[in-house]
Amino acid sequence: MINKKALSVMTAVVGLLVAAPVWAHHAFGAEFDVNKPLKLRGTVTKWEMVNPHSWIHVDVQGQDGKVASWMIEGGSPNSLLRLGFTKNSLPPGTEIIIEGYQAKDGANRGVGANLTFTDGRKLFMGGSAPGADPNRPDGSEKK
Amino acid sequence: MNRGLAGSMGAMTVLIALALMTPLRVEGQAKKTWSQPRTPDGQPDLQGVWSNATLTPLERPAALAGREFLTENEQAENEKALQPRTRASAGTEAHYDFLQYGLDPLQAKRASSRRTSLIVDPPDGRVPPLTPEAKKRAAARAEARKRSGPFDGPESRSLSERCIVMPGAGPPMLPEAYNSNIQFQQGPGYVAILQEEIHDVRIIPLDGRPHLGPNIRQLMGDSRGRWEGNTLVVDTTNFTDKTNFRGSSENLHVVERFTRVDEDTILYEFTVDDPATWTRPWKAEQSMVKTKGPIFEFACHEGNYGLANNLSGARAEEKKAAEEAAKRSQK
Repeated sequence: MINKKALSVMTAVVGLLVAAPVWAHHAFGAEFDVNKPLKLRGTVTKWEMVNPHSWIHVDVQGQDGKVASWMIEGGSPNSLLRLGFTKNSLPPGTEIIIEGYQAKDGANRGVGANLTFTDGRKLFMGGSAPGADPNRPDGSEKK
Repeated sequence: MNRGLAGSMGAMTVLIALALMTPLRVEGQAKKTWSQPRTPDGQPDLQGVWSNATLTPLERPAALAGREFLTENEQAENEKALQPRTRASAGTEAHYDFLQYGLDPLQAKRASSRRTSLIVDPPDGRVPPLTPEAKKRAAARAEARKRSGPFDGPESRSLSERCIVMPGAGPPMLPEAYNSNIQFQQGPGYVAILQEEIHDVRIIPLDGRPHLGPNIRQLMGDSRGRWEGNTLVVDTTNFTDKTNFRGSSENLHVVERFTRVDEDTILYEFTVDDPATWTRPWKAEQSMVKTKGPIFEFACHEGNYGLANNLSGARAEEKKAAEEAAKRSQK
């Protein structure tokens, strides 16, 4: 009984420190519109591994058969390199599914909140995704 | 005694008991003897790539008031609690999943610490109160921002969003949200310290020369170093008022101390003083832990689509607001 209570106190204490500062280079709200959720299925044409954010270019075929080109924002390439990804990890021609949010200015541009291959596997997930090097350059342990 | 108080006292007893049960660490038992490595010119050797990622916040959370350290059990829970971080816990439902991109502190090499704040002085672990002068300055800065509009042009955006300097470059060097990697390079008479984000580097002379004249001001200030035994002491002045470290003025004075305490750890301590900003100086410390390199390039400006996109997002919002206002006035 008392253990349960102690545990809940401990969890409360611990939760406080876990709220580490999170900062994503720029404000989400200024660039993307939370009221414009996206779900796109497209073919990668280019992957720009640039800072401060990587950008994935995809061609998306609309219901009318017309192809539109989209740009999708992701995280800093440095962290991906540290996970073992390289510029060859996402070659042109790869088919992916993007869940995210469209730019406020209505352009074919969005942020990739969740990126998967067409079979549902996540694009970037530690050392488990295709193209990821299991021997991480920073020597950190694989989770 | 009411039940709530009895319950929390019981819980506290258990917490204390848990702390007492924790076995004391026996120092030096299994430790290999380690001697301070030196560069060819005889300086203590700090060279290599280090991470200052941490789970410890700069300031102690209010609910941990009076507690400088977590117990070992709490620390273990703290690490565990980090596992299920998702984009929801990253502060917005809408941004991307930090774990997917390797941006989560969980994925970074980091020193473990039971400290509840990086700040060690004042003893409450909090930044001291602002002086009346600093409050006035903060109000004036906020007023100026309001007048010009936060998205009027690139100059209205923060130094980091403009890829000019990231806050982690310091000094003082606080951890970034990610890419908290720091490289030391030493040559005769100099130490260079590089932070990965925007690869900002300080080249610090060790020859005892004076600081730059008061008319020369730099975003990262002007650093001068010296060795005190095995500790590198770096004194930095000549900041600009744009540096604005937690509301600081251009008279910010930072003294940093870097001490390699074992093969894999640099103890980093810093004291900041600015009588025009805080009612007293304050001090923080943390461990930097060795990590395998390399430092990767961070060419921020050339890929900074985000800045233009932010501004065009703001223009789209303004246009929409103007159209809606016009519609209302037609009615």
